[in-house]
Amino acid sequence: MTLVAVQRSPARRGGSAARWLLARLAGLVGVLWAAATVTFIAVRLIPGDPAEAILGGPGSQASDEALAAAREQYGLDQPIVVQYFAQLARYAMLDFGQSYSLKDSVAAVIGEQLGGTLLLAVLSLALAGLLALGVAVFSTRSGRVAAAVGSGLEVVAVALPHFWLATSLVLLFSTTLGWFPPISTRGPEGLVLPVLTLAIPLAGFLGQVMRESLLDALSSPFVLSARLRGETASGVIWRHALRHAALPAIGLSGWAFGTLVSGAVVVETVFARPGLGRTLLSAVQLRDVPLVTGIVLVVALAYSVLTTATDVFDRIADPRLRQAAIA
Amino acid sequence: MRTPRLTLALAAVGISALALTGCTTGADTGDAAAPTGNPVPGGTLTYASGDAEPTCLDPHVGGNYPQALVATQYLESLVSLDGTGAPIPWLATSWTEADDSLSWQFTLRDDVVFSDGTPFNAAAVKANIEHVQDPATASSTGYLAVGKVTSVEEISDTVVQLNLSSPDSALLESLTQPWVAIQSPTALARTSDENCESPVGTGPFVVSAWDRQNSITLTRNEHYNSPPADAEGDGPYLDEIVWRFVPDAATRYAALASGEVDIIDNAQPDAIVAAESNDAINELEAPRPGASNRIELNSGKAPFDDERVREAFIRSAGVDDGITSLFFGTAERSYSALSSREATAVSDPDLFTFDPEEANTLLDAAGWTTRDADGYRTKDGERLTLEFPVSTNQSVPAEQSLFEQIQATTKEVGFDVVLEPLDLSSWYTVLGANEYNLVSAPYTKVGPDVLRILYDSAGLVPAPSGYFANHSQVSIPELDELLTRASEITDTAERTQLYADAQKIILDGYYILPLFDQQNHYLYSSEVEGMRAMPTVSTPTFAEAWLDR
Repeated sequence: MTLVAVQRSPARRGGSAARWLLARLAGLVGVLWAAATVTFIAVRLIPGDPAEAILGGPGSQASDEALAAAREQYGLDQPIVVQYFAQLARYAMLDFGQSYSLKDSVAAVIGEQLGGTLLLAVLSLALAGLLALGVAVFSTRSGRVAAAVGSGLEVVAVALPHFWLATSLVLLFSTTLGWFPPISTRGPEGLVLPVLTLAIPLAGFLGQVMRESLLDALSSPFVLSARLRGETASGVIWRHALRHAALPAIGLSGWAFGTLVSGAVVVETVFARPGLGRTLLSAVQLRDVPLVTGIVLVVALAYSVLTTATDVFDRIADPRLRQAAIA
Repeated sequence: MRTPRLTLALAAVGISALALTGCTTGADTGDAAAPTGNPVPGGTLTYASGDAEPTCLDPHVGGNYPQALVATQYLESLVSLDGTGAPIPWLATSWTEADDSLSWQFTLRDDVVFSDGTPFNAAAVKANIEHVQDPATASSTGYLAVGKVTSVEEISDTVVQLNLSSPDSALLESLTQPWVAIQSPTALARTSDENCESPVGTGPFVVSAWDRQNSITLTRNEHYNSPPADAEGDGPYLDEIVWRFVPDAATRYAALASGEVDIIDNAQPDAIVAAESNDAINELEAPRPGASNRIELNSGKAPFDDERVREAFIRSAGVDDGITSLFFGTAERSYSALSSREATAVSDPDLFTFDPEEANTLLDAAGWTTRDADGYRTKDGERLTLEFPVSTNQSVPAEQSLFEQIQATTKEVGFDVVLEPLDLSSWYTVLGANEYNLVSAPYTKVGPDVLRILYDSAGLVPAPSGYFANHSQVSIPELDELLTRASEITDTAERTQLYADAQKIILDGYYILPLFDQQNHYLYSSEVEGMRAMPTVSTPTFAEAWLDR
C-alpha cells in the first residue's frame, strides 16, 4: 500500500477517482492470477503424486489401472501447460473443481469452513485493535515508566509465536484454572483462547504503530491549538489526536487479516477448531491440489478486497489523499 | 511452503508441553477397565483422536489405522482373536481348511442383520471380498489381506467358500482386520462417496452423522446381537459416541483432564506420566500387532551393503538411555522384528548391546579408516553419511528426539547421520526414489505374515506409486523360501519354527535396529467402565462400555 501524493488537479478529480478504482480492480485480478499460478507451480514442485492423493493418500498401493483412470478423470495425463490453462479457464468461470481427498466440490468445502475462520479473524482483529488502543493511550499518557512498560509489552507480544502462546494459554486457562475449554467448538466460550492467541501478537504490532502516530499527533500544531482552546488532556487524545493516530492502524488491517489467516492454521490445529486454516494444512499434506488452490485464492481475494477497502476508507477519512492518485 | 514450519512448531509444542508437565510423577498406574458394579445404560461418550480424520469411513477404501479405530465401533469381521492370538468365532461360527489347503469354508451366523435391514449371509461375504478386490474401490491394506483369494462361492445361505491361489496360513489372522470387515451389500452397492460417508455394518454402533473436520456421531445399534466369542456383558450400553479429532497432543490431554472428553488416543509420554498421579484418569496400553517400531538399514546400497557397517551402526547407537529419558519409562525396549503382541516373535538382546569399541573395529575393517576435520569417517574421500528421512506424521516428538540421540551417539564412531523431517507425501517419495540409508516405518498387520511383506525380496518390487515395503532391501533366497513356506503351513508348531528361523536371519544380518513396540496408549476417564482393546489390531471397542457418573 504505497500512496504517493502528486500535484492536485481538481478539475479531473472525479475521473481520477474512477481510474484509481479501476486500477485497483485490475490489480486485484492480477493478484488472484499470480496466486493461482504460484500455487499451481508450488504444489507440483513438492514431492507427491496427485493421482495417489485421489486414491486414498500417500503410500497407497493403488494399481496401475486405478492410477491411470484417476489421471484421466482429473486431466492429470495432459501436458502441464494444458492443465494450467484449463485450470485458469475453469477459475475464470468460477469453477473451483472437486477436492481429491474430500470428494466434494471445493466451493462447498470452503463455504462450510470459511465462516468459522472469518469469525475468528474478525474477533481477533477487533480485540487486537482494542488492546493496542488501550496500551497506546495508557503509555503515552502516564509518564516515562508507563511508556517503557507499554513498549516493552508490545515488543514481547509481537515476538510470541502462535503455537507457543496457544499451548501456554491451554495450560494456564484450561489445565490449571479450568476457566475455558481447550477444544474450541462452535460455542462462544470456546472462542476465547483462540481469539486471545491471535489477538495478542497482533495487538503488540498495532500498538507500536498507534503509539508512534499518537506521539506524532500529540506534538502537532493542531493539538497545541486545541490545548490553547482549553481542551482537557483526555479531550485532546480522544477527540483530536486519536483520530489522526488511528489511520495507519486502519490501513494495516488488510495486512493484519493476512497474518490472522496464516495464524489460523496453527490456532485451528491446536484448538481442534474447524476452519479454513486446518483444511488448508490437511489439503497440503494430502496434495489435494484443487482444495489448496481454492483456499489460497479465497484468502488472496479477501486480502485484496480488504486492502482496497482500507485504501478507499483512507481516502474518505483523509482529505489529503482524495487529491492523490496512485503512483 | 508453510507445512514444515508448522510441523516444527507442533513438535516444539510437544516439547514445551513435555517440559511443563514432565515434573509431575506418581505411583498410581491405571489398569485396563475391570467392570465394577452393574452396567448403567445410556449417556454420551466423547472420544478425542489424535489421528488424522479419515477421508472415507469405509476401511475397505485405502485402509489405515484411523479408519480402523472408528470402524471398530460399527463394523465387524468374520473372525476375531483371543488373548493368545488364536482365532475365535465372530460373524463366522466355524471354519474348515480343505485338505489341499486351497480353499476354506466358513459357516456363518444365521441371525444377524445389518443396521439397514439387509440380512448377513454368504452373499454378503462374497460381495464384501469382491468389493475389496475391485480396483475401483482403491483398497490397499484390505487388498493385501485377501491377496490369495481367487474367488468366493456361496455354498448355501450360511456357508461360504474362499478359493485360494496358494495355501494361506495367515488367512484367519488377515480376516480379523477391520480393513476387510463385513459391510451391508446393499450399502456397498451405493456410490463410493455415499458409502464413504455412512458405511453400514453389524456393529454395536451406527454412523449417524459426520460433521467433517469436527466430529463423527455414532448411535447405539438397538438390534445388536453379534459380539465376538470373547465379549462379556450385554452391550451396547452407551446411547451415543461423539468421535472428535484433536490433532494437538497437549490440547487432547487438557481436554481429558478437564472432563471435556472421556478418552484420548495417541497419549504421549508426558501425558501418560502426568495421568499416573491423577486418580480420575486411567491408562490402557495396547501395543499394535505386526512389526515392532524399528530403524531399517537400507542394505541395497552403500555403505550398508557391507554387513560390518550395519553392525557398526547398530553397536554404536545408544538407544536404551534415550528411550528411558525421552519416554519416561512408558516404552519398553524391543529386540525383535515383531511386536511383543505376536506369539511367534523372537527376541535377541545380545545382538544389540551398545559397544562403540567394536563398532570402531568393524568400521576400520570395512575400510572407513580416515576421519575428516569434523570427525566423520571417510573412505576414498567420501564421508560416511547416512540419509535418514523422518516422517513427522508417523514419528512422535519423543521418537524424533530419540533419533537425534542416535545421531549423536553414532557420531562418536564417525557416522554422519542426516535427519530430514518430511511430511508423509514427501517421505514416501524419498523412499520410493531409494534416497535413504535409514528409515523408521511402522507397519501394522495381524500375525507374523507381516515378515513376508517387509523382508521377502518380492517386497522390493515397487507398486505403481513407487512404494515398496521391503525398506531394508533384504534379498536372500533362503529367507524368501522360509517366509513362503511359513505362509502356507497351518500347523502351529511348524509355522512358529519357520518364522523363528526367518527372524534369526533378519536379526543376525543386522538389517534392523528394533526400538520398541508400536506405541498405542489410551488415557480415559475413570468414569468409563468396560472398555477394552481388541486383541486383533488393538483398537478400543466400546461395545460393552458404560459410564459410571
